[in-house]
Amino acid sequence: MASIAARRLAKELREIQSEGCPVGITLLQADDFSKWLFTIEVMGDSLYQGEVYTLQFRFDPQYPISSPAVQFVVTDGKQAPIHPHVYSNGHICASILGNEWSPVLSVVAVCVTLQSMLASCKKKERPVDNDRYVRTAPENPKKTLFHYDGKRKALSVSVYANAVRSQTIPQEELTTDV
Amino acid sequence: MAATPTARVPTVNDLRVKLCYICREEESAEDPQQGPARAWTHPCNCTLIAHEQCLLKWIQASQGNAARAPNALKCPQCGTEYEMTSDEPVLLRVMTVSNRILQKLGRYFSVFAAAGVFAVVGTSIYICLTGYGAWALQNFIGKELYDQLLTDDPVNWPWSAWINLPLIPISLILSRFQPTPSVHSLLVPLLIVWPPSPPVGAHAKRIYEYWLSPENANKLPKMRFQRPALWPPPPVAFGLFVVPFIKAFYRIAYRRVYKRVLGTAMPLRTRNGVPPGGLRFNEGPFVIRIRANVEEDNNAPQQGQGRRGGNGQALQPPPPPLIDLDDEPQNNPQNAANAADQPQDPNAEVVEAAEQLIEINASSLGRRVAGALLIPAISNLMGSLLYRLSKHSRFLRAFLGIRRYGSSKGGGVGLGAPPSFWSLNPWGRYGLKREWEEMSPMQVFLNSTKMILATWFGGSTTWMGADPVWWRNCVGFGLFVAAKDALQLLHLWLAKKELESRKVKDKDFAGVDIRELDLLPEFFAGREGLRRVATI
Repeated sequence: MASIAARRLAKELREIQSEGCPVGITLLQADDFSKWLFTIEVMGDSLYQGEVYTLQFRFDPQYPISSPAVQFVVTDGKQAPIHPHVYSNGHICASILGNEWSPVLSVVAVCVTLQSMLASCKKKERPVDNDRYVRTAPENPKKTLFHYDGKRKALSVSVYANAVRSQTIPQEELTTDV
Repeated sequence: MAATPTARVPTVNDLRVKLCYICREEESAEDPQQGPARAWTHPCNCTLIAHEQCLLKWIQASQGNAARAPNALKCPQCGTEYEMTSDEPVLLRVMTVSNRILQKLGRYFSVFAAAGVFAVVGTSIYICLTGYGAWALQNFIGKELYDQLLTDDPVNWPWSAWINLPLIPISLILSRFQPTPSVHSLLVPLLIVWPPSPPVGAHAKRIYEYWLSPENANKLPKMRFQRPALWPPPPVAFGLFVVPFIKAFYRIAYRRVYKRVLGTAMPLRTRNGVPPGGLRFNEGPFVIRIRANVEEDNNAPQQGQGRRGGNGQALQPPPPPLIDLDDEPQNNPQNAANAADQPQDPNAEVVEAAEQLIEINASSLGRRVAGALLIPAISNLMGSLLYRLSKHSRFLRAFLGIRRYGSSKGGGVGLGAPPSFWSLNPWGRYGLKREWEEMSPMQVFLNSTKMILATWFGGSTTWMGADPVWWRNCVGFGLFVAAKDALQLLHLWLAKKELESRKVKDKDFAGVDIRELDLLPEFFAGREGLRRVATI
């Protein structure tokens, strides 16, 4: 059933090409159904104003049942953004990439979520265990077992916001507390 | 076409366009369908719908993932729980439950097994240490006292023995690794526990019965008037107060002699016992390096710097792989530069070099540890040597406090020897029950304090009544240490002399082509002269 991934990714790609990406996100490369590249920029007033980062998505045949492997590209002189949830090797600690992934999300939704994660950052700093993690990290960020203490709520709000944009849900379901 | 309001609630099949949120495939109710019909489901309270097969696959996948399993049956958007039905016969349920129980039991077992392994290893180590401690104690205090205070049968051992004995080998080994001499070893306090301890086992019973009999009890008043012996000194007081003095005094004396013999002050690292780079042991194919927190002596910074430089240069064995027990910064080039900068006393240099020569062959972890563990045997040997020598010398006999020769059977009960001044013979002075009853409470308090102090400092009667093996072992060991240090100094001195007396043999340019040498013109003139002489 590898075609489920191919069909879905083809659909998403068609949507991107027809409707375009949200502001600040552009598709760099989507030649096959295994690796896609995006550039991501935080719009408006933020700590990352004017900085452009490259995001890499890797899909396996079980997408969207299994989550994509998402990381910032740090080769060829590029750098990962300095954020408490982003390690210097480009790996991202985000619950939607781990245990809160669901097929309701899409590639664009993940990009938007990461964009808002960067935008809502109060202080530019690396994660506390950055050096130790980078030394021992596996190549694929999905192999890492991240702990999402206190970060889950912040992300789920923006996921809800996106879900609102794509489909209607009753007002009482929206949570605003972070 | 106006939509007529109906009382019926719409279901998933009433939708015009169905979009599966998992595979994102659309199905329009109006267009003809391609392929087989796929079942759709609307499992929750929001507007998300999906193919039944896609949803089932998603639920299956998330139930298999440990992180997502608790949320597997919830809609990702509205959180409503999915309701599922399946054929789950009782047999399957029973099997699942029992599988889980077995899993848990297995986990408990592995925890216990690991703990059990550790316990077994720890216990065997403890037994080895305790056995060694008993052997060491026997060597320190002599067989006679050992049979009275400890006996070979662990059943008789007092509870404190089980803590004291295993600590003995540990303290012995640690004492060889002291980073600074001011930290005294644990050994003396450990051994001090034994003088005051009461006799155990068969001997204790014998003592008790001996004094119970009336004819022996009548001997007690006579003992009061015997003159007590002042020597050997009380063990506890000796260990606590005198030994540190002796150690400090010896260290100063050694340093002085070192300076005298070798002509230079004792190098810093030997003084502290540990070189600044940490301990280093050559164990044949590999090297063990231990980094200790060493306080550098600030009195001699000059020498210290030079030390480190010399250290870095000479002790780099190239081939063997290094087992670093700590991170070691590679500061050798810098140290070499240091050594070059500091002006060095040439004598000190030679001594340094001599020490390093000896050090390369001397350092081995096993040698230090084995040496430490042999200390009781050595002191016993020296003690018995002194014992045999004392038979010929009266001074030695008095100094060692030897009162009788030949093994005594009763030991400690006999009244032949005068009681030691330091040990209060409770029966001798205040033993009789009548006296106790006649004393005022204050006197009772004072006298009992005196008794306790006397036993503590002097040792129990058993201890003082026995042949003072511990004293001659102590003295013997001290002599051994002095002799060993003297030998070490001699070795160092000879090595230094050897280094100083080295000469490299000088050869002439016999096999070398003369044309390659830049010779003085006198050489050729001389040759001419020689030829003329030869032809004469």
